[in-house]
Amino acid sequence: MLCGECVLIPNKDNDGQVEHIYREKTDKRILRKNPWRDYRLHGTVLILVIIAELIGTQKIPLTGDVAITIMPLIYTIVLGLVFYLAKPITWIQRKQARIAEGAMMLFIGVLIAKLAVSSGQSISLIFDMGPALILQELGHLATILILPVALLLGFKEEAIGMTNSIGREPNVAVVVDKYGFNSPESRGVFAIFIIGTVIGTIFISFLVTFSLSFLPLHPYAFAMASGVGSASMNAAAIGPTLAAFPGLESQIEAFAGFSNLLSFCVGIYIVIFVALPLTERMYKWLEPKIGKDSVVKKEDE
Amino acid sequence: MPDLIDGSENVSVHGIFNWILLLAIFSVITVIGNYLGYKHPISDSLVGMGILSLITLIGVWLERELPFNVSSILYISIIGIIVAFPGMPTSKIVLYYVSKIELLSIVTVFLAYVGIGMGKSWDEFKALGWKAIVVTVLVIAATYYGAAIVAHIVLVLSGVPAV
Repeated sequence: MLCGECVLIPNKDNDGQVEHIYREKTDKRILRKNPWRDYRLHGTVLILVIIAELIGTQKIPLTGDVAITIMPLIYTIVLGLVFYLAKPITWIQRKQARIAEGAMMLFIGVLIAKLAVSSGQSISLIFDMGPALILQELGHLATILILPVALLLGFKEEAIGMTNSIGREPNVAVVVDKYGFNSPESRGVFAIFIIGTVIGTIFISFLVTFSLSFLPLHPYAFAMASGVGSASMNAAAIGPTLAAFPGLESQIEAFAGFSNLLSFCVGIYIVIFVALPLTERMYKWLEPKIGKDSVVKKEDE
Repeated sequence: MPDLIDGSENVSVHGIFNWILLLAIFSVITVIGNYLGYKHPISDSLVGMGILSLITLIGVWLERELPFNVSSILYISIIGIIVAFPGMPTSKIVLYYVSKIELLSIVTVFLAYVGIGMGKSWDEFKALGWKAIVVTVLVIAATYYGAAIVAHIVLVLSGVPAV
């Protein structure tokens, strides 16, 4: 039980191809320990989900157009964490956390299957909608430009998880699948995911409002850019865009919607095949040059 | 780590049995959440989760059976796209049932497991701190501007009038 973190170092020599070292570990957990039998864990998850869905999506309005949206998925991740950390809750311990990790690796598949079905369904749309919509997905690679900043702030492998993409659900799935749950890369992408879920919606609505008045771009370009993140980020970004270009409502909504769909289904393939390998390469090249002391203390080594 | 040292255990019937039961538990929890959150009928959602679980199962099995060093994500994606592809005999039925499952319902359950799993490495997370907030803000801005600028260039080059 001592070794939670030490088996997960990706093989650095074989050029981007990370061997699934952790996979055996996950398999072991699933094969040996009858993980379905841990009723404490699954029962707790069920209760968390019921609580989360009953509270439902809450909107906290700040100004006229801007509101913070808190969705059930935030409650479950936060409550899950609280349940593990809270002292009085004795039935969620290290063992349950390990089983949760192992099980989660399998559940990533269900998430991906749902996205794949949506992709298959809309594949003809993607061809019809023209090159701009597909190519703007490549614009998302701009996140890699943030890698040097992350390195200067003292992140190590975490930076790979943080800057390969905007860190929404599909990106989290891809990174965790590639590096394993307990890797620095996964911690990075989880951090971006959680912070992005909390502040992303409000931040993007300010960003869009600001950009609309300063950047002379095509209205459809603004529309497509609105779809880069989660559904609630999309909704927050589209509001000011619609207000800025009266008379184009339906086109802007369509472009934003398709772009959002593409971010989720096509976007993950760009992350798998382009963004992650590129980020890794950049990291290997830049880290020795500008890397600082790690913000995370190494425990073993 | 005694449970890791002896390396090569093949995926046995026992293992697949465990996967199936885990997916069944996950499906039931998701369907309950899906019903509470979105009021989709339970029976249709169960079939939808059954289809997604089957795709997942085939994907993870292929990853461990085929000799390529390829993640199950890709197998699952390919199977999912094929069975939903317009014109495939399976597409109508798959789309009908899978559309009863909201992506957010799956994510909500998934993240409950993630939350519990994250508790174990909470100290490492805390160490990321405010710097992670800086990176998050920059990453969102970079994605937004990257998408907007590339889309703008393509739109201008392909001669779409700026209205």
